[in-house]
Amino acid sequence: MRIEKCWFCSSTVYPGHGIQFVRNDAKIFRFCRSKCHKNFKMKRNPRKVKWTKAYRRLHGKDMTQDSTFEFERKRNRPERYDRNLAENTLKAIKKIDKIRSDRASDHIKNRLKTGKVQRQKEARKQLEQGIHLVKAPLALAQDSSLHLPKIKVNVSQAQTEENRPMEE
Amino acid sequence: MVQYNFKKITVVPNGKDFVDIILSRTQRQTPTVVHKGYAISRLRQFYMRKVKYTQQNFHEKLSTIIEEFPRLDEIHPFYADLLHVLYNKDHYKLALGQINTARNLISKIAKDYVKLLKYGDSLYRCKSLKVAALGRMCTVIKRIGPSLAYLEQIRQHMARLPSIDPNTRTILICGYPNVGKSSFMNKITRADVDVQPYAFTTKSLFVGHTDYKYLRYQVIDTPGILDRPFEDRNIIEMCSITALAHLRAAVLFFLDISGSCGYSIAQQAALFHSIKSLFMNKPLIIVCNKTDLQPLDGISEEDRKLVTEMKTEAMKTVIGQGGEPENEEGVLLTMSTLTEDGVIAVKNAACERLLNQRVELKKKSKKMNDCRNRFHVALPKPRDQKERPPCIPQAVLEAKTKQAEEEKKRKTEKDLEEENGGAGVYSASLKKNYILASDEWKEDVLPEILDGHNVYDFIDPDILLRLEELEREEGLRQAEEEADDFEMDGEELSPEEQEALAEIRKKKNLLIQQHRMKKSTAESRPVVPRKFDTDRKFTTKRMGRQLSTLGLDPSLAINRARSKSRGRKRERSVERGEADGGDTMDIDGNQESKKLRLRSMSRSRSRSRPPITEVVPGEGLKDSAQKSYSYIETKAPVLWETFHWKDGQALRHEIKLCSGGERSFTFSIFAALMFSDIDVDLVARRLQQLLPLPKTGLPPLPQPTIPTVLKPGLLPPFPSIPNLSSAPKVTLPPLSSFP
Repeated sequence: MRIEKCWFCSSTVYPGHGIQFVRNDAKIFRFCRSKCHKNFKMKRNPRKVKWTKAYRRLHGKDMTQDSTFEFERKRNRPERYDRNLAENTLKAIKKIDKIRSDRASDHIKNRLKTGKVQRQKEARKQLEQGIHLVKAPLALAQDSSLHLPKIKVNVSQAQTEENRPMEE
Repeated sequence: MVQYNFKKITVVPNGKDFVDIILSRTQRQTPTVVHKGYAISRLRQFYMRKVKYTQQNFHEKLSTIIEEFPRLDEIHPFYADLLHVLYNKDHYKLALGQINTARNLISKIAKDYVKLLKYGDSLYRCKSLKVAALGRMCTVIKRIGPSLAYLEQIRQHMARLPSIDPNTRTILICGYPNVGKSSFMNKITRADVDVQPYAFTTKSLFVGHTDYKYLRYQVIDTPGILDRPFEDRNIIEMCSITALAHLRAAVLFFLDISGSCGYSIAQQAALFHSIKSLFMNKPLIIVCNKTDLQPLDGISEEDRKLVTEMKTEAMKTVIGQGGEPENEEGVLLTMSTLTEDGVIAVKNAACERLLNQRVELKKKSKKMNDCRNRFHVALPKPRDQKERPPCIPQAVLEAKTKQAEEEKKRKTEKDLEEENGGAGVYSASLKKNYILASDEWKEDVLPEILDGHNVYDFIDPDILLRLEELEREEGLRQAEEEADDFEMDGEELSPEEQEALAEIRKKKNLLIQQHRMKKSTAESRPVVPRKFDTDRKFTTKRMGRQLSTLGLDPSLAINRARSKSRGRKRERSVERGEADGGDTMDIDGNQESKKLRLRSMSRSRSRSRPPITEVVPGEGLKDSAQKSYSYIETKAPVLWETFHWKDGQALRHEIKLCSGGERSFTFSIFAALMFSDIDVDLVARRLQQLLPLPKTGLPPLPQPTIPTVLKPGLLPPFPSIPNLSSAPKVTLPPLSSFP
């Protein structure tokens, strides 16, 4: 039993799922679901279809080169079974996975950082320029911070009398 | 060897059918349309074709019949005799002869009529010739009808004859009826012959096949033979006689020891002796059947004597053949088909005898020499007397013996399976023979898939080292990341600022929306102007709320707005008086403006405006006099136009032209001027004369004196009409001179 990769979207295909297509030149195409299969039949290029991993890697949205990818390689020669090795491998898989996902998320975060900085600058500018819509110049002169002005409410005598029973 | 197969003879149709077939074929396969207008040659050709075609067909069909039926001279004498026995040679030949003559007759008829047709001169004549020809042919066939029927019957019977190959190894079974021949046949072959208690159950020859020493033997079962003179025999017996006579086979003469067939041994012996001439050159075996009912030893003396006689006869045949006196057991055998006791022995004996005989014969014949020439076994010529057996190394011998032992000792997986409950219960442990570093690991189960990865892809002997390296790298990278993040934070907006920003954006969106609505509906839909306030949303409360959200104290603005609006009730003005506090003008000024307002009822107003000269705080003017002067300065040319002297009517006309606002404004101006040092009595008086003034309310004008302060430019002297263009600009004393 092996987990394969979908040819179109590069997601994992578990045993018992999906469709496998063998072309006349003996190249095997595996698909995770009918969506990918139908896209393939329509002759769409996965590098141009936005939601696939191929597109994302090609356009730098996701991490492409990393040392964690070297750990997972299809080995054709079987190794003799060794319990310690097996244990270590299983533990290592978890760690490697965690590291890989961390790196991937960092990659995305970095990518989005410049946008974030830009948006912050824009926001600040907008705030400075538009403060006159929410704060009267008089109020701004009194309190020069760029916050919303405090609303003054007149408290009449009648109200204070009402409160007294409560205080007692 | 030719396989005699009479099944392939085509069906012989009877006379009528024959005629029908041929004639219909003629009609179908030859052209049918002919008219008498055709050329004569064409007509003749048409009919000749028909006649010839019919003749050809007849010829074909009759020829096939003649050829397919076997000619008795040309087939094996066995079959010839058999056919003769069954169907009578003569009749057979006659029938075929008749067919032949018919064929010839038809050819002759056709020839004749074709010759006649060559000279037919009309359609009718040709046609009748053709009709005659065909008719004669058909009569010929009709005449041979019985022969055709006879041949058809023969054909059907022949098809059912057993296919006996006369040249191959054959075993013939003969004897009295009911002795057990057919049951013996059933036992040794797969033939399923009827076995019944009555005599002559078997009415014809039956063939079966059996195997012995990799060779196939034919076994022929014959109908029983009775002891009668040759001439009296019926067809059925003749069949078996024929077979005996012509087939070169081993003969098994069946003898019923018990006599349950209904005939005694004596009778059977008599039969034997009568047909012993047929056993010439054939290996003969006397078989005593039904020993379960009566063993051979138990028979009477006489019978025993008879049997012995028969045996000696049989021995003779043996001796006559091979030259070697056979042992007696090969000649007389006992068996019981019921108990199957000795059946195989009989068969084997018969086959053996026959085989030997045939081999002997072949050896003697010329063919054998030809065969023998092809065989040669090569043997090396021994050069001395030393024996040289094949050499086998000792190790191989030992290994062989050891293997033999092991085979016996080793416990196979199958044995293990059987011990532990059989195939369904026990499943062999495939991991038993694994070669691993430690034996405890043999039954370990390793998962193939973990967390979406194939475990086998990750297995690597030095995975630990690489993992350590990776973790180190990761640590470094994480530290860098943190440092970077630290630098980044600081430029974010505080939550209050974010609130403010959100408000700003909301407000902006609202403005944009309103603008869009306004833009889209401006030309198409008429909008109620704002001053009518149909939704009643322009209230002071609203204004107050809006101002307070902007951070201003709305109370002042609310008061001002309320004071400016037209009073609805008396109480209101009282209130306002209280509320105003210190922010009011001169009481007089207040009162005056009020009076003036009340006065201006000649024009109804939805909302009254304060007089123009009333000072509004925020304009930058000190009092109403100042304001009046400012107005005069700016609007003097207009004033001039208003007051230029023409005849009264024109003036009135002119005054009417200017708006009501101007008129009241002039009054207020002059009122203001009056209370300042400027003397405008004359002006006022003049105005009184000219303009219809309301009687009430105006202040009493002082006595008119010629104004000395007024510059001559301000008003021209009576009654000259001033020239507008020449009117100099009014220059008033500067405002700053006034207190």
